[in-house]
Amino acid sequence: MSDIIEEPFFKGSTGRNTRGVLRLTILCLIAAAAIASRLFSVIRFESIIHEFDPWFNFRATKYLVQHGFYDFWDWFDDRTWHPLGRVTGGTLYPGLMVTSGVIYHALRALTIPVDIRNICVLLAPGFSGLTAYATYLFTNEMTTSPSAGLLAAAFMGIAPGYISRSVAGSYDNEAIAIFLLVFTFFLWIKALKVGSVFWGAWCALFYGYMVSAWGGYVFITNLIPLHVFVLVLMGRFSPRVYVAYCTWFAIGTLASMQIPFVGFLPIRSSEHMSALGIFGLLQLVGFVEFVRAGVPSRQFKTLVTGFVVAVVLIAFAALVLLTVSGVIAPWTGRFYSLWDTGYAKIHIPIIASVSEHQPTAWPAYFFDLNLLIWLFPAGVYLCFLKLNDEQVFIVVYSILASYFSGVMVRLMLTLTPIVCVSAAMALSYLLDTYLTIKSPPEPTDAQILDAANNSSSKKAGKQDGIRSTREPLVGIYTTFSKTTVVSAMTAYLLIFVLHCTWVTSNAYSSPSVVLASRMPDGSQHIIDDYREAYQWLRQNTPEDAKIMSWWDYGYQIGGMADRPTLVDNNTWNNTHIATVGKAMSSREEVSYPIMRQHEVDYVLVVFGGLLGYSGDDINKFLWMVRIAEGIWPDEVKERDFFTDRGEYRVDDGATETMKNSLMYKMSYYNYNSLFPAGQAQDRVRGVKLPEVGPTLNTVEEAFTSENWIIRIYKVKDLDNVGRDHASAASFDRGNKKKKTTKKRGPKVLRVE
Amino acid sequence: MRLLAIGAAVLSLASTALCAEKGNLTKPLTSRLILPSTFKPPQNFKNVNLVHIINLEKSYPKEQINVVVENIASTPQDEYYIPFTSQQMATIGGLEVKDKKNSDGGLFEVGAVEFDPESDTQFYRVRLAQPLAPKAQITLGISYSYLSALHPLPKHIAQQDSQFLVYEFSAYCPSAYVTTKQKTEVKFPSGNVPEYTIVAGGEVESPVKAGSKFTYGSFSEVPAGAVEPVKVRYEFTKPLIHISQLERDIEVSHWGGNLAFEERYTLHNHAANLTNQFNRVQWASQQYYNPPSTAIKELKFPLRVGSLDPYFTDVIGNVSTSRFRSNKREANLEIKPRYPIFGGWNYPFRVGWNADLKKFLRKLKTGDGYVLNVPFLEGPKQSEGMVYEHIELRVILPEGAVNVKYSTTVPLVSEEISLHRTFMDTTGRTALTLKAINIVDDFRDRELIVTYDYPLLAGLRKPLVIFITFFSLFAAAWGIGSLDVGIKGKK
Amino acid sequence: MHFLKGLVLILLPAAAIAAKRAAVDKFQQFHSKALSSTPLKLDDSIYGQLTSAPRDYSVAVLLTALESRFGCQLCREFQPEWDLLSKSWTKGDKKGESRLIFGTLDFTDGKNTFQSLGLQTAPVLLLFQPTHGPHAVADSAPVRYDFTNGPQSAEQVHSWVARHLHDRPHPEIHRPINWVRVIAFTTTILGTLTFLSVAGPYLLPIIQNRNLWAGVSLIAILLFTSGHMFNHIRKVPYVAGDGRGGVSYFAGGFSNQYGLETQIVAAMYGLLSFATISLALKIPRIADPRTQQLAVIIWGAVIFVMYSFLLSVFRIKNGGYPFWLPPFS
Repeated sequence: MSDIIEEPFFKGSTGRNTRGVLRLTILCLIAAAAIASRLFSVIRFESIIHEFDPWFNFRATKYLVQHGFYDFWDWFDDRTWHPLGRVTGGTLYPGLMVTSGVIYHALRALTIPVDIRNICVLLAPGFSGLTAYATYLFTNEMTTSPSAGLLAAAFMGIAPGYISRSVAGSYDNEAIAIFLLVFTFFLWIKALKVGSVFWGAWCALFYGYMVSAWGGYVFITNLIPLHVFVLVLMGRFSPRVYVAYCTWFAIGTLASMQIPFVGFLPIRSSEHMSALGIFGLLQLVGFVEFVRAGVPSRQFKTLVTGFVVAVVLIAFAALVLLTVSGVIAPWTGRFYSLWDTGYAKIHIPIIASVSEHQPTAWPAYFFDLNLLIWLFPAGVYLCFLKLNDEQVFIVVYSILASYFSGVMVRLMLTLTPIVCVSAAMALSYLLDTYLTIKSPPEPTDAQILDAANNSSSKKAGKQDGIRSTREPLVGIYTTFSKTTVVSAMTAYLLIFVLHCTWVTSNAYSSPSVVLASRMPDGSQHIIDDYREAYQWLRQNTPEDAKIMSWWDYGYQIGGMADRPTLVDNNTWNNTHIATVGKAMSSREEVSYPIMRQHEVDYVLVVFGGLLGYSGDDINKFLWMVRIAEGIWPDEVKERDFFTDRGEYRVDDGATETMKNSLMYKMSYYNYNSLFPAGQAQDRVRGVKLPEVGPTLNTVEEAFTSENWIIRIYKVKDLDNVGRDHASAASFDRGNKKKKTTKKRGPKVLRVE
Repeated sequence: MRLLAIGAAVLSLASTALCAEKGNLTKPLTSRLILPSTFKPPQNFKNVNLVHIINLEKSYPKEQINVVVENIASTPQDEYYIPFTSQQMATIGGLEVKDKKNSDGGLFEVGAVEFDPESDTQFYRVRLAQPLAPKAQITLGISYSYLSALHPLPKHIAQQDSQFLVYEFSAYCPSAYVTTKQKTEVKFPSGNVPEYTIVAGGEVESPVKAGSKFTYGSFSEVPAGAVEPVKVRYEFTKPLIHISQLERDIEVSHWGGNLAFEERYTLHNHAANLTNQFNRVQWASQQYYNPPSTAIKELKFPLRVGSLDPYFTDVIGNVSTSRFRSNKREANLEIKPRYPIFGGWNYPFRVGWNADLKKFLRKLKTGDGYVLNVPFLEGPKQSEGMVYEHIELRVILPEGAVNVKYSTTVPLVSEEISLHRTFMDTTGRTALTLKAINIVDDFRDRELIVTYDYPLLAGLRKPLVIFITFFSLFAAAWGIGSLDVGIKGKK
Repeated sequence: MHFLKGLVLILLPAAAIAAKRAAVDKFQQFHSKALSSTPLKLDDSIYGQLTSAPRDYSVAVLLTALESRFGCQLCREFQPEWDLLSKSWTKGDKKGESRLIFGTLDFTDGKNTFQSLGLQTAPVLLLFQPTHGPHAVADSAPVRYDFTNGPQSAEQVHSWVARHLHDRPHPEIHRPINWVRVIAFTTTILGTLTFLSVAGPYLLPIIQNRNLWAGVSLIAILLFTSGHMFNHIRKVPYVAGDGRGGVSYFAGGFSNQYGLETQIVAAMYGLLSFATISLALKIPRIADPRTQQLAVIIWGAVIFVMYSFLLSVFRIKNGGYPFWLPPFS
């Protein structure tokens, strides 16, 4: 950038080596810090897989390790989505599992007996170290300042925006995807600068790896073409661009098509069309450049330009036509909801129901990036100083990522790397300016004068440069200003470190499978209901007992209880989910046939009322109703679950539909017998429950965890004497009245 | 009487089922000696006086026979036979015979006799230490116990009902010889014995009740193999803890000076199942006053003093509800399963802990031999007792340990010395695997003594290997780094 | 509106006559009216006879409150859709095969009806099924369409009606092409094109001006990172009053914000980064030592104060956030 920073402490080759060693040690320390700051949950609880999706990845990894790669590749899983099953091998991104499988086998080859679970748990922290290193390389491509890379690596290592998805135990695709993202971008920049097929090929290979690891690869697929497009518009087309892009596109597309889940999407779906289009455009531009170089005739040039424009228009028209005619698949819902922001809420309630698909409020940005968020624009501005291809990349990336992260919280993940990089560039530029020992000599008035003169003349002269760099560079005179600025920045950085640690330990380190609560004496008490219930299911129910629960818990049941489920977090079949939603939100007489048809043996509901655990099913209930209503608008109506005054209530004021819904009954069944009569209290909704608890006829309580968080019900078989369950149950109640009055309350004969 | 009939029917069913599933257990019994199928134990002995004590206080029947045996043959004899039904043979465990008179005489050699697999009567043969002269007498103490010989009746009870068990035996002690005088004592856990068979024979009508102790007999002379079936049904509101498989690993590390224990249990509760599903409200409410229950709430492991950092996990991770109390005098590991284990429920789990090697290992004065002395079994100590169907004990000695010998008083069925590769082993560690079946928790305190040689060089192998590996790695890296693979010519 | 009023005046006597001679097929009569103008503008009496059993036809009535004093935003948003639906339906089946009549009852004309139905809210869409005749259904109670999730498009309502009127024709919805928009669009396109072609040479330097682009991209980034998309999607209020008549600039709660709030935050970010830029770029280029000294102090102070303020604001949003800088604590 400027010459003042080119002042190494050590001269000569020994100096170079020393600096190399220093860099290496610093990088290692950064990686260590990155890994260490992600281990809170392991230290607090244990080495355990976190919330939901990771449990599926973990299960898939175990399958891969046991049955080998090819079985994994064509794995048809009949233990999920009963009775449909799922072609798991063809509908997942295998990168994550394969990575940990390779690590596992490598360690085994060295006869180091490490449990596959520990590999999965520690994969994300391990890769975060690599991500820091990749960021270092990426930043070094961007700036000449030797310190920027290290700063960027440090930021990347501890920025909460990245930690949020990569703490130990969150064994999700993002764990390795972010590393691949950054490293692919590094390789891309490298290929672009050198213009070599070698680097382009590497970029393509890592792009392929990325495709195999995360659905977010579409971001790369669109960002790189956009970058190239902008370059072409800026008239920066060059053979380097041509070589790099074509290599990347050709090999990368082929590589990505090797993943079954992706298959032919790269040439059929709209998400990938931009890459294809730019590829075509580059051919044209290349051709034109070639011709232009050869034939110096004005008309011919205009002709060529006209030709180019025509071709582009035709190509675009063809694209539209194909899309309309359906040869090219239109945007997928998730992707579409990025542009038409209202889309998901109306059309795809499942997507809208996921919390991480919500838009981002500004506190989230500050929470995840702290001071980087305001260093970020400064860094982007610095890129305009010397606007080469790579700086253009930063600008494009910044704007695009900022937009996406604003639309969807989870895409904060793609924003974080560029924020770290540009913030580091800004900061390092600042520090390089203020951390120099040598000060410029005090100027005499004459110098000032002529400086003013030639500066004014310069103003007249070069117009295109960025404004703030027109005057000649002088440097900082007083040590006072240097010390103030430097010390202030150090203070901010320290706050940043504290902030990151605080955020990580408080917000991002709880494995949501195990809940921690504080005893009165301050000691930690662990609430382990989930695993209690799952273990009970695993040990004391038949191997093929079908479990019906809301889809959030599908993966956990599959992973921990090892039982077939109806629906799970891979929400590929909306109708099936809606069926479960209907069963949950309808009356028993309606739900029972549904459950019989799906061979449901046990129903699992999550109930936080006793403990005040807010993430329970009653709070998610409305989504079940909505999704069910999407398919059966006449049978399930969201309106019926609200009181006339439009309140969502569970106490006496609840609507009849609510009180009769299976979910409500299963949540509160038998609950009021814990309390003195009429004192039953729901600690989540904070309301008093009806005097008389609900009665269940078609299902019976099979297991309830210690704090009632998980309640498992067994679906009764058909009655032996052929009575319907209502009368059978009431008959039993009538018999057992003496014994169980307190338990069940007065018997209720349902009339149909 | 009617109830008894029903009970009998149920029992017979159960027993057949039992035979069906235990059928394979008779296989691993090695140390059989094959005899012609027309074998009858020679009538060389006479049981002068016999006392048969059946102890039902724990969750398995433990029997003790004290008999005064007289040699009625003309020649000295040393082979005494004890008869069992084939079903008993399948489930009998820990048969031990010793001379009551001199207690330090040690145990006599005992072996199962196989002559006719179809025949219902099988024999164990006791070989006396020295032959018994004619007309001479010896007092034998025979003790053994049966697995899964107790069955709840009724088979399903409600959550807080009390449980009743049924046990069948013979009032006349099964013997291959004429018995002149005998009686059978039954010790019950409590006085609550609603049903029992009444035997008319003998001086007085049996049984004679004294508190929780019933006495059948005494009976006058009965011929060999005489049987008088008796069935008792008594209250036992405790879990029937049944470990179908216990794998116990003991890993010796000389470098770390550490002895690592890990035990993997496959635990079942054979108590009566629940009539209707588990009810949390009831369970929680009855936790305040702690009534007897057939559910397993807690298991207590009294470990050796000085045991360190224990863990208690199951297939889905650590179980936080465990307590470890360790001080100068005791080291108690108290583990709570994730959920109360009722009859018919299962709960496989694993526990492990470390201990200081010096407490267990001693180096011999001469040569580089070592002596390792560890408890054979350290399972939970429950008041109701527990039984182990299979035990597989693995002692993993350091890499390069040679000429391994062992000795223990626990009846084993097989032994094996193999190699176990882990933690960057090159040749693999010597692993001694011992198998035992049908063991009850009385054998907790039996010890296992292993002696082996461990030369110094073997101890130094691993560090050397690792050092060489890394050194060659760096050398190779340096060599490759110094190569020039550029395709452009030198300038 | 006036036209409708007039229409009602015309209709009223006609309706009265119709009421007298109910022998004539009620449906034909209403349908003929509908052909002239649909949806029918109802009042209590017409509503009464239209929906009175026995009827061998279906009626879809929208009970709404259009006058602005009721402040029913939803009603006014839905009204054009409703008109569109009824018009295209009636046009689509002139012969009345679907035997469906569309009617609109405004609160001002139908207070009694509203009371008798015990309606608190508007709009309410009722569909009366025929009590006898070919399409008769068992219960004569009207089916109610709920507007819980926001304003509905004509297509949604159409599908709902069609679902209840199976085994009858369902005329499609024809949205009239908005010629004004089309023309405006084309003209703007053409205009811009001509403008560009004319002013191209003058514009080019501006377009190629790096400062411009820098400014634009920085603004975009600040906009997005200060949560503008959230406002856009969630349609948050620009600013809300606190209880005591004052204005609360910052919404409580971590995932909640006002429009003004985001702008304030964006301004803070902008100021902070601008200060950083000047520290990094401008100041080392100041030739005069004293001015430079001064500038360093000023900008440093600006950053410090701004950052401290930012932290304090964040502490408002996220209670229990432990870090702060003086002066704002």
